[in-house]
Amino acid sequence: MATIELAALEKTYPGGVRAVDGLSLTIGDGEFFALLGPSGCGKTTLLRTIAGLEEATGGSLSIGEREVTRLAPGQRDVAMVFQDYALFPHMTVLDNIAYPLRIKRVARAARHEKARQTGDGLELAELMARRPAELSGGQQQRVALARAVVAHPSAFLFDEPLSNLDARLRLSARTFLKRLQRELGVTTIFVTHDQAEALAMADRIAVMEAGRIRQVGTPREVFGRPANTFVANFIGSTPMNLLPATVTDHRLLLAAGSLPAPSGLGARREVTVGIRPEYLDFSATAVPDALSGTVGIVEHLGTSSLVTLETDGGPIGVVVPEEAEPAAGSTGWAVPRPGRVLLYDNETGDLLPT
Amino acid sequence: MSEPQRVDPGNRAVRRILGDAVVRHALSRIGLYVFAGVMLVFFALPLLWLVLTPFSRTPAYQITAPSFTLHNFRVLLDNPFALRSIGNSLILAGGTAVLAVVFAGTAAYALSRVRLPGRDALLYAILLLSSIVTGTAAMVPIFLMLFQLNMIDNRLALVLVLTGGLLPSAMFILKDFMDSVPKSYEESARVFGASPLQILRHVVAPVVRPGLATIAVWAIVQVWGNFLLPYILLHDQNKQPAAVIMYTFYDEGGTPNFALISTFSLLYSVPVVVAYLIVNRRYGFRFQGGIKG
Ligand SMILES: Nc1ncnc2c1ncn2[C@@H]1O[C@H](COP(=O)(O)OP(=O)(O)OP(=O)(O)O)[C@@H](O)[C@H]1O
Ligand SMILES: [Mg+2]
Repeated sequence: MATIELAALEKTYPGGVRAVDGLSLTIGDGEFFALLGPSGCGKTTLLRTIAGLEEATGGSLSIGEREVTRLAPGQRDVAMVFQDYALFPHMTVLDNIAYPLRIKRVARAARHEKARQTGDGLELAELMARRPAELSGGQQQRVALARAVVAHPSAFLFDEPLSNLDARLRLSARTFLKRLQRELGVTTIFVTHDQAEALAMADRIAVMEAGRIRQVGTPREVFGRPANTFVANFIGSTPMNLLPATVTDHRLLLAAGSLPAPSGLGARREVTVGIRPEYLDFSATAVPDALSGTVGIVEHLGTSSLVTLETDGGPIGVVVPEEAEPAAGSTGWAVPRPGRVLLYDNETGDLLPT
Repeated sequence: MSEPQRVDPGNRAVRRILGDAVVRHALSRIGLYVFAGVMLVFFALPLLWLVLTPFSRTPAYQITAPSFTLHNFRVLLDNPFALRSIGNSLILAGGTAVLAVVFAGTAAYALSRVRLPGRDALLYAILLLSSIVTGTAAMVPIFLMLFQLNMIDNRLALVLVLTGGLLPSAMFILKDFMDSVPKSYEESARVFGASPLQILRHVVAPVVRPGLATIAVWAIVQVWGNFLLPYILLHDQNKQPAAVIMYTFYDEGGTPNFALISTFSLLYSVPVVVAYLIVNRRYGFRFQGGIKG
């Protein structure tokens, strides 16, 4: 059990790629922390640097009370689950799970006993005598987890542990992993490029881009108030509407209509308005303070549908409840819910305080 | 044979050409089988000799239908050097195999994991030089060196020389196996605190075991059949291996002692065949890395 603290942590690869660019971050004791970002943004590198598999080229890192920046991986008291699980193919499931204890020189009988207990907890009791090649992907993933659990580390590091599973198994594995983490209370860093996974599982999320963190926050904060247009674009299963607008006194002028402006923005300023499709209500009749357009594509999302309004300022997505879908070609109005209109600076892309 | 049916029956020329083709095909087939038969006899005869002659009352160059006897083995047991030389061969081959596997294995692991500039060039250079280093050209320098070190008649010295000759090729083959071990296996062990030696013993070596076994058997075969090096470096008949001792089985007139040579040959071939069978059974021979889970 430990907090993990990064201070201006930096990793530049020999080729000159700066994969982790001066990150400072504190991850609380027992927290389930997700690292989220597009491919190549440095998530794996950051995780490997924390594990000690890559040597930091700058800054410092401590786990618990200990400064571990220069320690070997084995002395950092962390356990890592790799994307390919890295189960040893020549060992049985039992020996695989018991391996960390073998390194700690626990006697054979004792470590097998412990491995069996852990395996039982992860529904692996029947599989103990098999080799990894004889297991399904989901079973392999649980063996890898069991091996990490048995090591009893002060932190877990997971690199996309669910990405090799099929969609349905992923959902159950999510729940399973989250419950396991909750029960064990071990600080966990979880790498994923799947924003839904991060939103569903994490206590807090760090969204990364090109080696930097663009926002850290709870899933609610990151989803509801993205700190910049990058995060706004990245988070959410339906992309956020980002529309150019001009601020005049008390009004936001968009191509598709005008909305009340929050105070304190100053006059005549170009901004970007961000509204999630989920936070827009559809109206088939004209209403004030709304954006209007022609109904284009209607995509079914299950219990709701994503309606695209074609407007002069580009398409606007609106989520409407099922069976309330408008007919294509009709005119519709999108009404933002109170407090859900976000404004971003055009220059920096940062959220403007409102 | 559906071809001729499609031909117009009136078209004789086409028919004749097709007929010729069939005949030619049949002839070439027959030729092939005759050739294969001759080759088979050619290669099978020595084997037949090897198996039959030890049990013959009148062992000679010819293969005779055995008038069965075990007398020849009596002669073999009475020879003071025969059995001991097989033992010597086992020591030399076993020692070389162990050293070659250990040294080549660790070297290949290092070469596979450490990024050195010009690593591949280095590997090829070693491989090329190796054929010179233990080739005939190097015999005199090796002899002189060991002579001055006072290590003639020293079996350990011979094992080291033999190992040195095998290392480059062994490293080359094993590096390929090492390259095919996913890095994440080792990294995962490292995060759990395993030392490099533990990683090698617990993870890498077991995963590349087919490669190690291949190298071991290959080393045994190489040493088993090596005449020149032990002949030059071991002068004490009590230490000489089978391949060298075999050349002493001639009487004063220079005629071969067939009773001795035939039985000895049979005994001489058994260990290699057994080693091959064991390894082939357990791992199958492979000269490419590639892991079956
Ligand atoms: N060993 C390496 N040497 C040099 N550059 C590397 C190395 N490993 C990764 N990189 C570079 O560092 C950057 C970050 O890579 P990293 O693997 O951390 O990304 P990631 O966020 O995990 O991506 P993904 O979601 O695709 O796994 C990339 O630009 C990559 O090309
Ligand atoms: Mg990655």
